[in-house]
Amino acid sequence: MRPRRWGALGQYALVLWVAVTLNFALPRLAPGDPLEYVIGPEFQTLTVEQRAEVLDELGLSGSLPQQYVRYMGNLFRGDFGVSIRFGRPVPEVLADRLPWTLLLLGPAFFLAFGIATALGVFAAVRRGGRADAGLLTGTLLLDALPAFWIAMVLLAVFSVRLGWFPSFGAEPLLGASSALAYGWEVGRRLVLPTATLVLASLGHTFLLARASMISSLGEDYIAQAEAAGLPPRRIIYRHALRNAVLPLYTHFALTLGGLVGGAVLVETVFGYPGVGRLIFEALSARDYPLLQASFLLVTLGVILANALADATYPLLDPRVRRRRQRGS
Amino acid sequence: MSGVRTRVPPRLGALVLGLCACGAVWAGCLTDTAVDPDALRVAIPLDAGPLNPYSGSSSPLLGLVYDKLFEPSPYVPDPFPALATEALQLDSLEWRVRLRPGVTWHDGEPFTAEDVVFTYEYYRDGPPNRYTHHVSEVPQIDRIVEEDSLTVRFVCGYPCPTLARITLADLPIIAEHQWRGVDQPRSFVELPVGTGPYRLVDYRPDRSYRLEANAAYFLGTPAVRTLVLPVLPNASTALLALRTAEIDAAVHEVPPELQDQFARTAGIRLIPTSSLSIIELRPNYHASPLVDPSLRHALSLAVDRQSLVDRVFLGRGRPGLRGYPHPDSPWTDSTLRTPYDRDSAGVVLEASGYRDRDGDRVRESAAGTPLRLRLSFNGAEPGFLRLAEMLRAQLAEIGIAITLETLEAGALSDRVSARDYDLFLSEIGAHGVADPDQFIMSHRSGYLWRRDLPYPEWDALFEAWKAAQTVETRLEVSYRMQRLFNRQPTSIALVYPEHVWAVREDRYDGWRESLGYGIFQKWSFVEVSSAEPADAPGRTPRR
Repeated sequence: MRPRRWGALGQYALVLWVAVTLNFALPRLAPGDPLEYVIGPEFQTLTVEQRAEVLDELGLSGSLPQQYVRYMGNLFRGDFGVSIRFGRPVPEVLADRLPWTLLLLGPAFFLAFGIATALGVFAAVRRGGRADAGLLTGTLLLDALPAFWIAMVLLAVFSVRLGWFPSFGAEPLLGASSALAYGWEVGRRLVLPTATLVLASLGHTFLLARASMISSLGEDYIAQAEAAGLPPRRIIYRHALRNAVLPLYTHFALTLGGLVGGAVLVETVFGYPGVGRLIFEALSARDYPLLQASFLLVTLGVILANALADATYPLLDPRVRRRRQRGS
Repeated sequence: MSGVRTRVPPRLGALVLGLCACGAVWAGCLTDTAVDPDALRVAIPLDAGPLNPYSGSSSPLLGLVYDKLFEPSPYVPDPFPALATEALQLDSLEWRVRLRPGVTWHDGEPFTAEDVVFTYEYYRDGPPNRYTHHVSEVPQIDRIVEEDSLTVRFVCGYPCPTLARITLADLPIIAEHQWRGVDQPRSFVELPVGTGPYRLVDYRPDRSYRLEANAAYFLGTPAVRTLVLPVLPNASTALLALRTAEIDAAVHEVPPELQDQFARTAGIRLIPTSSLSIIELRPNYHASPLVDPSLRHALSLAVDRQSLVDRVFLGRGRPGLRGYPHPDSPWTDSTLRTPYDRDSAGVVLEASGYRDRDGDRVRESAAGTPLRLRLSFNGAEPGFLRLAEMLRAQLAEIGIAITLETLEAGALSDRVSARDYDLFLSEIGAHGVADPDQFIMSHRSGYLWRRDLPYPEWDALFEAWKAAQTVETRLEVSYRMQRLFNRQPTSIALVYPEHVWAVREDRYDGWRESLGYGIFQKWSFVEVSSAEPADAPGRTPRR
């Protein structure tokens, strides 16, 4: 392996170690005591010995350095511990939630990204016009609205008033007669949370796409292409958009990594069994093992997405490709 | 460029649709069998774990699966025999309990005295849980002896006249054949084996429970065959789902401002219940200045509780004018009063040397320290901010300056554990305010007092309480304790809240309240009258 790649790997390893250490420290820095969740309000009635016994049972006994050494050792062995809240191995709990989160956030993410980019390009091309002003106002307004509020409005209209979509859950509550019916019901339950996520996340990508496209359209090579009499469609898609897509791609890759973290508010409002809600529940219960593993999952997602962006960026940008070729 | 038309590339749309289709097919592969379409669907706000006494000890769902020797709870005057048929007090220290014959666990194993002995010993000697101190300390059960397969003898370390009416009506009985050898019960996730009216047949953590009626239940087959309980943390969504008839009931309170709207909705019925809880103001009795009992008494006198009920709870609930414990508990002295009397509060403060010496409308102690207190509360609790603001205004009128401090639940808990507060707001449930044994325990644990803090008046009463050999003498001592407590309160009862639930009466209308548990508990599905066998007296037999 080449020295540059070793360097990059070293950087990722360092980032991972720092992240893992922070994952250990953050839940413990937060106020609150897991015993209160485990025992209930009566946790104050425990004697010192009983407290020690319960903490030992939860794997939380010993000083912080001792816990840290035990945590790192367990991590290297692939032992993520047992969730305090659910009493099950942490990977089992996460594996139960991750597919639902990806099922919800995956389509929502691609839809939001596709729609926002298309609208951003559309608005940039019509900069200063009515369509641009309308889109800018509309997306900024959506961006300013809290996701839970959008969710409640969608529920009130499409679930309560029109009765088109179920209001909560990921699966039909009473089961389904066939796999196809089950899949259909799962799909129906995705509509409102997906719509909420799309509407709530359009603004940022729209602004980025619009600004990036406007910047591209103002470049000299666009003026030259127009002077050369190239068709407008070709100028937009072949010249302006290809350059405008670079910052969008970076944004895309970074956001993609965070998908595994779920969407707390939307998952909570719609009673959707995703990772976001799980993290919130773990935080409420001061479930250190589950919090640590969830944060690690998000960290790994971001690092992997970053690495992916790093590896694929040269495919989009010939300048980077050439620089790397020269460097190697 | 203005003439250019852009459009979304069709490939993108196809990609998105493809992903959705793949997701739906994947989900379809996970399909489960359809359950009874007549199942009753009740949304619950929180996951209660796999329904065992270590994962959800405070959840009413536990009672669907497990039974106690006496039911329904210590919060009623006379619990009726359930897994027991009678409890006989042999002397001040010993009880003999006869068990119901013919009862089987959900897996078909017979229920015997071994299960009862195992349960009480497990709670006492095993990993601590919410029941531990109700076997080891209040009361102190030294021995549980199996006399024969259907008879158990309890031997207490000091007189335990209320054993049958409180302890035996509080602790759920677990199956010895399932729990023996379980040394880490908090990570024990097997589906529970109980004797109760429902069998948990499917549990998806944080998503749903499915319970099937136990046809062999000893008090008769439950009225509803299948219960499906989705976990739905958001109250607004749950109440919307009730209106769309996606669920049949919600274990989410209907807020006062929505009650009229729900009352007008066809098919929905509102059911008010006593929450058997207290919204309380807790002074820090460990530190100056609230270590002074007269100051705590003055605080109690200065709070206009009726205005709190009217303005914060829109009239739903009762003002805390009958003190602590809860007045609906059969164990509470019915003569207790904690009136609002601002003038008397001033007199008490004057007599204790708290006067406004510098004219700033804030009193100072004899040593010159101004009465400036911090009131902490969990900002996420509905109504607590308004409550705190009103308390600040009311206490200002007697010369006590209050600074409000909003905290997250965990931060508040840390403050309380570290005794780093002056006053805080809290709500305490039935176990804390209606179980007389817990009232004693709370004075030993640090909740209401700490056993290592000197309190001669209380200690003398505690010794008298321990020595009391009959229910009547123990009640008499308990009443004296309660009167002492409310004169020098370490918890000031503000409001006795009322909870209002919404159910679809067109789907099921057999809901019944069990005091302290609301309506979402087993007695809504099992006929209470059938709980009392013909040959068993209504009251617990005592000698």
